[in-house]
This record gives sequence, C-alpha cells and structure tokens, in this order.
Amino acid sequence: MISRFVLGLGLCVLMLVTSFTTYTYLGGRQSKVAVPAQKPTAASPRPLAFSLPGTLYVAQNGALYSLSVGRFHQLTPEAGWTQPSLYPDGNYLLAVQRNSLFSDVYILGRFGQVVRQVTNNTASPRDPDTGSRHWSFYPRLSRDQNTLWMSYDSPKFGYDVPFSIWTMPIGGTIHQGRLWTNSHDYTGGDMEPIPLTTGGVMFTKYDYGPDGNLIGQLWLTTRATPYGVDGRALTTPGEDCLQPSLSPDGHTVAMVCTYERQIARLVIASWNGSSLGPRVAVITDQLVAQPTWAPDGSGIAYLAPGAGAAPFQLWFLPKNAYAPPPPSPTPVPTPTPGGPYNGTLPSPAPASPVAAPVIHPIQITTSDGFDATSPMAWAP
Amino acid sequence: MLGKQPGRRARASRRRLSITRIAALAVLAIGFSAIAGSSAYFLPAAKLAWDSTGQVVSIASPTPSPSSSSTSSPLPSAAAQPQGAFTVLLLGSDDDSKFSADHVLTQSMILVRVIPSTHSVTMLSIPRDLYVPLSTGGTGKIDGAYSYGRAGAAIATVQNDFGVHVDAYIWIGLLGLIKLIDAIGGIDVVTSNPVIDDYYPQDIYTSDPYEYARVAVLAGPQHLDGVHAMEYVRSRHGDLQSDIGRSKRQQQVLLAIRQKAKQLSAADVPVIANALGGEIKTSLGVDRITQLIPLAASFDNPDNITQIVMLPPLWHGGGPGGSLIPNWSQILYLVRQYFP
Repeated sequence: MISRFVLGLGLCVLMLVTSFTTYTYLGGRQSKVAVPAQKPTAASPRPLAFSLPGTLYVAQNGALYSLSVGRFHQLTPEAGWTQPSLYPDGNYLLAVQRNSLFSDVYILGRFGQVVRQVTNNTASPRDPDTGSRHWSFYPRLSRDQNTLWMSYDSPKFGYDVPFSIWTMPIGGTIHQGRLWTNSHDYTGGDMEPIPLTTGGVMFTKYDYGPDGNLIGQLWLTTRATPYGVDGRALTTPGEDCLQPSLSPDGHTVAMVCTYERQIARLVIASWNGSSLGPRVAVITDQLVAQPTWAPDGSGIAYLAPGAGAAPFQLWFLPKNAYAPPPPSPTPVPTPTPGGPYNGTLPSPAPASPVAAPVIHPIQITTSDGFDATSPMAWAP
Repeated sequence: MLGKQPGRRARASRRRLSITRIAALAVLAIGFSAIAGSSAYFLPAAKLAWDSTGQVVSIASPTPSPSSSSTSSPLPSAAAQPQGAFTVLLLGSDDDSKFSADHVLTQSMILVRVIPSTHSVTMLSIPRDLYVPLSTGGTGKIDGAYSYGRAGAAIATVQNDFGVHVDAYIWIGLLGLIKLIDAIGGIDVVTSNPVIDDYYPQDIYTSDPYEYARVAVLAGPQHLDGVHAMEYVRSRHGDLQSDIGRSKRQQQVLLAIRQKAKQLSAADVPVIANALGGEIKTSLGVDRITQLIPLAASFDNPDNITQIVMLPPLWHGGGPGGSLIPNWSQILYLVRQYFP
C-alpha cells in the first residue's frame, strides 16, 4: 500500500496535468476562422501551381506578388499596392497605390521597382477638405501604350461622388485627360475599363435597376460620350454582371454575374466587337472574383474562397472545363489499298459516345487571402 | 500456515480496497480537474456573457397606436403561429464618443422573424427616420425611442406601432460590430456597387470624433474586415436611397455574419466574448443563445431568407425634421403578412 503522501502528491500532479490538458485541448478546438492569411511567399507552393504558364501578378494585403514557375515572389512592400495591370509589350506594370484619402497610378518594373508616378490625386496637406482628394482605380493602357484608361472620381457633386471612365496621356496630367463616360448620380459610377482594339471601351456601369436595386451592367462606349449620352448596355440589369475580362484572342468575355443576390458566378460569352453572345455559366457554386484569362488561352484564373474558412484563394479553370474539345469524327471507311472495290464496304460499328470527363477548377493556393477587389495581370 | 492465511487475505483485501479507492480518487481527480480546466477556459466568457445577455427590459403598457387604430384597409388575417417561431429586434447604434453612452440613437432597426420548423428567416428593416408615436410619449423619429428609454422603449414602440410581438432584442454598437466581424475572421460579401463617401464620420479609433474620412469600398465579391464592413453598412452619402440603401447593405452583412458563424465551434465563444467585451447587449439568455447557434447553421436555403426594406409608397418624405411620414395602412398590411 502506498503512503498517503505519495498518493496525495500523485493526485495533485494528475489534477494539474488534467486541467492543463483540458484547457489546452479546448483552445486547440477553436475554429481557424480568425487565423490571418499567410503571405504567399510563406506558404508552400502547391505542385499544381507549376502548371500555370507565364507570370501571374496578384495583390494581397497591400503588396504585389508574382507567381512564376510555381513560386511566389513579393514585388512591393505592404504599402497599399493593388490592381496590377500589364503593359501591352509586357515590359512594365501599371499599379495603384492606395492610402486612406486618395490613390495614384504608378508605373512599376516587372520586379516591383517604381519607375514613375502617373497621377497626382493628393491635395495640399493644409487642405482640410477630404473631398479635395481623388481616387484612381483599375488602370489599363491602350495598345499603343500612350494612353492611360482608368476609373476616376470626377466630376463630383458634393456628397455624390461617382466614378467615370477617363483617359489621359501616360506622360501627362489629368488636366490633359478626357472624360469618356457619364456615370449616373449616386450609383458608384463607371468602373473597370477595358480599352478595345476597335477604339472603344468596355466597362462596368453601376446603376439602379428597374426594381430599385443597385446593379452592375457591362457597357460599351465607342467614343467619348457627350453629356447626357450613354453608350450601350451589353448585359441586362437582372444579370447584375461586373469585372469583365477579354480573352487573348478577343473573341470571348469572362465576367462575374450575381443576379442581384449574394452569389457570384463565372460566366463567359462570345464577343463580336459589339455585342455579347449567349451566356454560359461555367462556375456556379463558388463566390468568383476577378476572372483573368491565361495568355496562352489555356484557362481562366480567378479568386474565390477556399474550402472551409479560407478567404479568397487563387483558382484555375482549365479550358477543357468550358470549351471541351470537339468529339472525334465518326470513322469513315477508307478505300482498300490495291484498287477499287465495287462490293459493299463493311460499315463500321458506330463508336459508343464517350462521356467527357468533368473538369473541376484547380485550387492553386490554400491559405493566402488575396485581395478580391484587385484584378490580376498575367504575362506570357 | 493455517494461522497466517486469514491475515494475508485481510492484507490482500485491504490492498485491493486501496487500489479501488485510489482508482476512484484518480477518476474523481480527473473529473474535477477537467471541470476546473473547462471552467478556467469558459469562465471569462461566461462572466461577459452573463453581463451582456439576459438583459431585463421593462416595456411600457400599450398606448393607442397605428396598429390598434388603423382601419383604412383590411389587414391580412394572422396565420396560425408556426411552432417555435420567434421575433428578435436587432438594434444598431452609433455609440461613438459624440454621444453619451446611455442616450444613443438606433441608426439600424431590423425585425427578424425566425421559423425553425421551416428553416426560414424574414428580415424587415425599419427606416430610422420614420415619424411614429413613441412609447415614451409624444411623436418623433423611431430611432429616438432607444435614447429616451433604452431597449424597453424601442421594443414597446415597435410593438405598439407595428402590431408585432417582439420576443427578444439584440443591441450592438459600432465598435461591437467591428470587433464581432474581426473576431470571426471577417466576412465574405458581394458588394452591390462601389460605396464612395468623401465625408464619412471618422469617429472610431480617433481623438477627434468630428473629423471626416474618405471611404471607397469597391464593388463585387470580397473579404471585409470589421472596419471595412462597418464602412460598407454605415456610409449613406453616396446612395440615392440614403438610409434605405444602407438598410439593404446591413441585411447583406447580417447574412454574411450568419454564414461565417456556421464555421464556429463552442471553443470559439471565449475569444469572441472577450473581443466583444460588453459591446453587445441582449435579452436572450445564455441558454437560449446556445440553442440558437446550431439553429443558425441550419438556414442554408437562400430561398427561405426574405429581405424586406420599406420603400415608398410605404412612407413619404417631408415630415418634421427630415423625418418620413408612414403610410400606416400599407405598412401594417406588409408587416401582418410577414410577422403574423
């Protein structure tokens, strides 16, 4: 029989261990919802990332990153950088640096070094009027690389601060700029310009739909519209579409459509330069943001929440998922070598139809939490 | 030999007894210490929960109100009450340092009716500027009821004017909403349009609550932290529908919080309770909240979630002090449909 002292000591140790273990166990049972997203450079690259061609530029927590050959590289410090866009010749990036009062467009090298500031949207530090500052978002460059397209919050009307689509010389100032669209009052305005080779611009116009709800619509404007004249709607108010992205061959548009609900589907449609064809919803079970075409046309990258609680992650939808290869032609009897044959040719047995394999989107990252309001840029 | 046998058996018996006792003591020790460990984990949260939940509200006796006097249009007959259905009044306040803590307005008032048997939820936003008879006496904007008589007055005003029985209330301030959303790791929302505001009140985390900030919440699917979610639901300068547009955004964020809350476990409660730190008050007891958390996870079908915002002709402008004059017959017709 063990002594009472030893027994007491043993029980004390047991109780200490048990209570500590219980506390620790409960702490370990917490969900991971509030775990901060990792930096892309800290997370282990998934093998599937190696399958992406070229270099993809993304934004996370105010920093720009590139993804190339399966590995992320941080290009800028976490200092409000967002919305990268590639120069048509692929040698530079346009990007937005945003702070609490204004944002500006910059030209960056492909490794993130600042080459030049393009816009100047601040005001004198002594100017107490917050409305004296401006926002520039969604910069794009014309094909000749001389003209900057962007969403810019001017003109303003007191509390009504709608965005409009503007152009300005890449080496000039906003005073040399040109207002291209007439945004509607108290809507948020016109965003996400995509300059077209035909000279016009496709963009997202936010407006009140027939039911009084604010919705997004893709619009086309082929020339700078005089006051009171709009371009032309490409989608209906009920589709509530935004974030257009033009395929490398210029014949297909990918966009996000929400149908006025808290959903965001990836929808593609053919594009003939003036109108969109029938819509095809290719992803309907995810909250899709910022669809971006691979430069070689091999698929579409997009951002969407990951499994469980993970915020917006990088996904890739291979082309076969939305444009399956045409079925192989039915075999046709070929003449028998050795001369004409007048008899009846044996008819080949019809090939049984082979069900096309269902192609699922590929989740490239698992714990990164990318900025879903920032379009991605993809260089060959 | 024979003489030693009984003694050995007795010692063996005592030894067996001792082992049994020791085992019993060990089990008891493990049990008690496990309870102690759990208590240490949950006690701070329980203390905060005890302080914030189960708030007692005194509701004034009904006074003559639109719901009792309206005869201008036939009201839909009240349907049979579904089993377990209940109605909660959600109240949101600007509780920044511009206001004294006990006299805040309720900038957001949302009636939520939950029917567990059909897994359906109805949310009705009440315009804060609606000019109504107040339970504390007189007539004024409905957002003032809380400032005159706290939750009891707000509940009584809603009950009297809208003819709705309110089972419980939840009040949350600006900081509370920010902390709640941050504690659950942010929310995923599809923002319907860019929300731009050049004169957004910078009254949180600041030394001068009368300063302004610029806000630009861009459109589309995105992950919002507490501060940016607050900007999205609070800004109204850039919205033609002003408070009404803001109400729609508030309902979007409420649904996003519910969606995120489905991923929480009981072990998250202390962290969230600590984060909130008294920024939330409710008449729901802890036991009731414990029952409701798993219930919230079962509301998955978006078709069973009805979001209602009062638009004209349910009211028209031009009331005293910029208030909205209610069209009671139409409001009560609507309310009776969804809150029988």
